[in-house]
Amino acid sequence: MIIHTGTLTTHEADICIIGSGITAALMAAHLSEHTKKSILVVEAGKPTTPLTQRAQARERFLAYGESPWKSDHVDDQNALGTTWGFSPSMHVGGLAMHWGGVSPRYSPEDFQLRSLYGVGSDWPFTYDELDPFYQEAEERMGVAGEQGPLALDPRGKPYPLPPLPINYNLAQLQGWASTAGIATWSTPSAKNSVPHDGRAQCQRCDTCYPVCPSGAKYSPDFTWDALLAAKKITLLTESLVRRLEADPKSGRITRATGNRTDAAGAPFEIRAGAFVLAAGFVWSPHLLLLSKSSAFPNGLANRSGLVGKYLAGHRNVNAYLRLPMELFPGINVQHSLVSKQFMRPGKLSRYLRHDLRIWESSVGREPRLRDEQGGLLLGDAMLKEWQGRAKGATARVRGYYDVLPDRDSALALDTSRTNRWGDPMPRVAFKDAPESAALRAFQEESLRELFRRMAKAGNGEILRMENSANDLGQEHPTGGCRMGTDPLSSVVDAFGRAHEHENLWVGGAPTQPTASCCNGTLTFTAVGLRTAAAIARAS
Amino acid sequence: MTDNGSGTGESARRTFLKTAGVIAVGTVTVGSAAACAVKDPATPAPDDAETTRTLGMDQPLLEALAEAVLPASLGAAGRREATTTFVAWVNGYEPVAEEMHGYGYADVRYLPADPAPAWRAQLQALDTLARKATRTPFTQLPVARRQELLDAVLRTERGDRLPAPLGAGHVALALLAHWSASPTAWNLALGAKVTPASCRVLNDAIRKPLPLAPTGAAT
Repeated sequence: MIIHTGTLTTHEADICIIGSGITAALMAAHLSEHTKKSILVVEAGKPTTPLTQRAQARERFLAYGESPWKSDHVDDQNALGTTWGFSPSMHVGGLAMHWGGVSPRYSPEDFQLRSLYGVGSDWPFTYDELDPFYQEAEERMGVAGEQGPLALDPRGKPYPLPPLPINYNLAQLQGWASTAGIATWSTPSAKNSVPHDGRAQCQRCDTCYPVCPSGAKYSPDFTWDALLAAKKITLLTESLVRRLEADPKSGRITRATGNRTDAAGAPFEIRAGAFVLAAGFVWSPHLLLLSKSSAFPNGLANRSGLVGKYLAGHRNVNAYLRLPMELFPGINVQHSLVSKQFMRPGKLSRYLRHDLRIWESSVGREPRLRDEQGGLLLGDAMLKEWQGRAKGATARVRGYYDVLPDRDSALALDTSRTNRWGDPMPRVAFKDAPESAALRAFQEESLRELFRRMAKAGNGEILRMENSANDLGQEHPTGGCRMGTDPLSSVVDAFGRAHEHENLWVGGAPTQPTASCCNGTLTFTAVGLRTAAAIARAS
Repeated sequence: MTDNGSGTGESARRTFLKTAGVIAVGTVTVGSAAACAVKDPATPAPDDAETTRTLGMDQPLLEALAEAVLPASLGAAGRREATTTFVAWVNGYEPVAEEMHGYGYADVRYLPADPAPAWRAQLQALDTLARKATRTPFTQLPVARRQELLDAVLRTERGDRLPAPLGAGHVALALLAHWSASPTAWNLALGAKVTPASCRVLNDAIRKPLPLAPTGAAT
């Protein structure tokens, strides 16, 4: 329902979801199927490039590096600090409009780090409890995958789609990895290995990140379009929620207030029975911190003082290796092999868990302007020199290792930068827990040694190795509203419900105590679906 | 320059290049070209602002340059396709468009200013240099002599890899880099029909790429 009172527009719904990214999309889909409640989704940005324009947008990205995503940010709404893993993007569908689609699960160990290894934090539920929600997320997105060896890759049901094929290059690399004693398989990906859900089969266009021209890769707009077509939700765009208001006595959230992000900037309010914050690890804690009042002077859900704290992520070590085999770079550059062998290491004397991915690469095989003697290469001489170096093989290997967050790995309000309404923008600063900082050199050297061993096993050589850039923060970040059973040491309970506000829920990445050592999006959505199921039960 | 997977992109592109890529220096308004019905990198994005730009290159000079920098094995037709595609790419550029700002970007970044005026001037300067050094127009010099002039002009350019075309500091590098980035060039380098960065049948990926035909023709 929409009510106009002077310049103020009031929207009413049973459930209000703030944010329209991938977690919000899957949560809305679940809620629309499991409740009769009205659902209002509110997004600060606009819809971005529709599928019909993505082929052309891809062409211009390839030709010029142009952003394929039009109108995808709100000019004065951005975070500061170390920001790897998110961008200024603020639009319908969120970051997952341009994600790579890589969809591994975490390992069972990730949920019991403290119990098993004496580091980090245990989650308030286990891998087995999340398994059905992993499955639901995989089915809603259409994840193509093959189960690895059972001991490394447990799951309750098969993947919904067959795996993306192990292409010619990856087959050669898989043989090499096997020689090095490493079990690998096709990386699970939210890309259609077969036509699925009205979308085309993948055509290995190799621009999954940043734009899939065919729609074979899942992106949240597909879910929003379906929900809107079925009239199961209302989507309110260009509407920035700037405050949540809570009843001082009961703690219940009474309304959300904000302004349109168009030129007029008209005010609006939303009254709902339940509010779901699904705005990612930056904007979810940011809104809670902004929403301070006399009754809640530190912001909402923040009696513990932990809103915005314990931001987690992972870093990587990356290497390029020359191998004595013949590969053809460009067969399917964005697809890879994956191993979870090192995510399930058993007992450890020093903590180290990491994933492993293997790609084809063209590094060292590109055209050059000068020969080894410095002579200019033009015409046939240039091509001949290139052909000589193009033969052979380069592999890229990369391992993410998890970084355990410090309490002060944090997002805070920075009053030096404000939006047009004077709201301070978030400033992000990641910080390793002391135990994690003490392990860093050992962990990175262990990965380098693994890569050396792999090179040796294949009679190859390391071309170069590099670590994550320090100034970019951490990848696949989580946290800021961590979950737990103790209200003194967590922001939300095991289902994402705020300890202090019975009708406020936080979905996905912000609630996670840790971020594992692999791509995180699938887990963000699975955690969000677990929350959606709890909301449906509660309503 | 890649197929878009629709099966019609290549023919549409060729039509576009015939009509819009050639070549006479002139002025049009980017964003209103009649060729916009086709799907091509040179087709402006839907919400591009209209901006007046000078388009085109001196075609005889550009072809003379192509003869000096591109492989002779491409033949005249291959070079002509490369220069035509290059000019269409230059013409289609939108200065200061937003860059992709994905993972790892904290801010919105913008593409550089139009490099074409400098490239046009460099093309003319090659001719001026040829006339000063040899009393012969650049277009009439033997290929080897043109390459000697380029050696002098490019002496400060580093050589471990070619720049991205848009970042090329000289028109000779821009042309060479633009061609080298094409699937055709990669196929020639690899000696096989890989056709990178193109939309292709998924399940064909499991097979070893077919070798190029003995003529060296690439797809």
